Amino acid sequence: MKFKAFLTENGVSLLEKRFLPALDKLGKICHLYLTRDHAFFLHNLLNGDGIQSVAQFRKEALFDDYRISSQNEDRIAFAVDLSLLHRALRSSVSICTEFGTGSGTGPTPNRLQIKLVKKLPANSTQPMPFLTFETKGFKSAVIQDVPISKPLSRSHLLELQTALDSAQDLPRTLVQAPDLNQLQSFVDRMKHVGDLLSVSIAKCGDLHVQISTTLITLGAEFRKLLVVGDQAEAPAEDRNVSAQTRSSRALLRGDAQSVQVSVKHFAKSLCYHLAKPDCAFYGIAPQGACLTVIFQFFIPGSRQMDKSISLHCRLPVLDPGSS
Amino acid sequence: MDSDAPDLVCQLDNVQGMVDALTAVRWKRHQDAVIELSEHGIVLIVEDSNCLQAKVYLQRELFVRYEYGAQGRPRFGLSLGLFVDCLNTFSVPGHSSAIEIRYPGPDMQLLLKSVDSLDSGIYAEMRTRIPETISWDYNFEPAGSTPLTFTVKTAALKEAIDDLEWPGASIQITLQPAPPSVTFRGDGHGDLQIDFTYYANPDLLIAFHCDRHVSHRYKYKFLRATTSNIPGSVVRDNRGSKLTIGRGGLLKVQHLVSVARTSTAHPHIDSAGYQQPSRIAYIEFFVKPEEEDTADD
Repeated sequence: MKFKAFLTENGVSLLEKRFLPALDKLGKICHLYLTRDHAFFLHNLLNGDGIQSVAQFRKEALFDDYRISSQNEDRIAFAVDLSLLHRALRSSVSICTEFGTGSGTGPTPNRLQIKLVKKLPANSTQPMPFLTFETKGFKSAVIQDVPISKPLSRSHLLELQTALDSAQDLPRTLVQAPDLNQLQSFVDRMKHVGDLLSVSIAKCGDLHVQISTTLITLGAEFRKLLVVGDQAEAPAEDRNVSAQTRSSRALLRGDAQSVQVSVKHFAKSLCYHLAKPDCAFYGIAPQGACLTVIFQFFIPGSRQMDKSISLHCRLPVLDPGSS
Repeated sequence: MDSDAPDLVCQLDNVQGMVDALTAVRWKRHQDAVIELSEHGIVLIVEDSNCLQAKVYLQRELFVRYEYGAQGRPRFGLSLGLFVDCLNTFSVPGHSSAIEIRYPGPDMQLLLKSVDSLDSGIYAEMRTRIPETISWDYNFEPAGSTPLTFTVKTAALKEAIDDLEWPGASIQITLQPAPPSVTFRGDGHGDLQIDFTYYANPDLLIAFHCDRHVSHRYKYKFLRATTSNIPGSVVRDNRGSKLTIGRGGLLKVQHLVSVARTSTAHPHIDSAGYQQPSRIAYIEFFVKPEEEDTADD
């Protein structure tokens, strides 16, 4: 089992400034899953509860000189603490910039190598796996070892791959989320009022979120959002009714779906705005299996989707009776 | 609209001001409040242990629209904490935060909704209760022919009361005419005395009226409630709070909270810190003294 690659400058800035801080908010521990072509950061794919999150990078988006080999069709997966990973990366970057000769002038001598190693930690007789960051500075080299779990066995790896495959199916209707910062500050305030958030998404582009307890009903409706997938026209007579009437009528017509999720999960998923996505979409999986949030990234300076990066998460649906 | 008009439909252009004013009287997590509506405005009343009462006056001038259609003065109860949390949701930064408040809804709810945007909107329905009659009437009457009152910078008052936490328990407030001064004294785990003298601290003690020595004791936790949740804007605006001792030692603490839009927070304020009265919410606390033993009237 071998893995060795150089992080590109772009890869470093993607991870250090955007993705690791965002992923860390979702959960400290995640699986890093490496294949011949992709690197994945996966949250909660093997245990059922919590938000499932999949961040996928084509290897060129992060690395060059990428070498991987294993007996599981060159696939390796292990659990890693994101805050440690972030710390190691941050300090490697500071060493690079301190000693670096600047960028854009041919091949940079100070490259950041990342590799999988087994080492004997101090006061131990058992060798342990680490993800090692090696930075060559002007006069010195700095090595940082981030402890990781034992690589997943073949059967666990297969399980992870199966979970990953089944986490990829898209909702039939997706609506583009309103401004994420604003939505986040709204949901953060809403959190004080109740725990259970009902989310309904209509094919005409309405997103309606509501908390309802015995004492209060508090909701927000965002209308005329961009729709991807199945669409429907909203009937004219629905224009001047309340948000609640509008969404219950759409549900009755079969033009909308509604699920209940934890308001904490919903707020957490909004932390992904830290990864600076260019847009986000909400959708409800078939049979109301989960609420899916898809974040899209554009190729810098364009409105074209960057297909080398993808990020989405799935919020578990709660049974309204259970809480 | 429907044939019988609601008791009240009003619009406010800045929710944050209302959140600030109501937060000032939120000294506990769970507090029941009573709201009274009238043609003059909205009054919110909270009460604690028969010893402390607070009122927030939101006069009709604070609202951009105020349509009152009720006979008499409708009253209803609700949870203050939930009301503040709910209003706070309407106050999203970087967004105009105009709301409409309507009472009653079809099921006697208090209805709130944002009125700023066509394609997005926030709404809320709060369940209301039939209020209990307030058990103790905080009938504030002057202690004599001349009022016993002083005005102190709110920030200084808050700081003094915060400092008195250490001795805790019971705080004695003494006013004396010669030399004109106010003393806060705490005896508990130790003693701490804080003096405001009119001649020495004219910038802190802004006004002072007292023709005789008077002294009463108040429970620290109730005294603290009068300043502990004063919004930062009041301290920043450098306002004063007025304290008056009434008959039987009943203490009245009055604060002024600006309800102006944040973007236009200051055009009305001149150099003396005066602000148009129409953009101010009035807050009053009444604190009952502890059992009389040192009072001298």
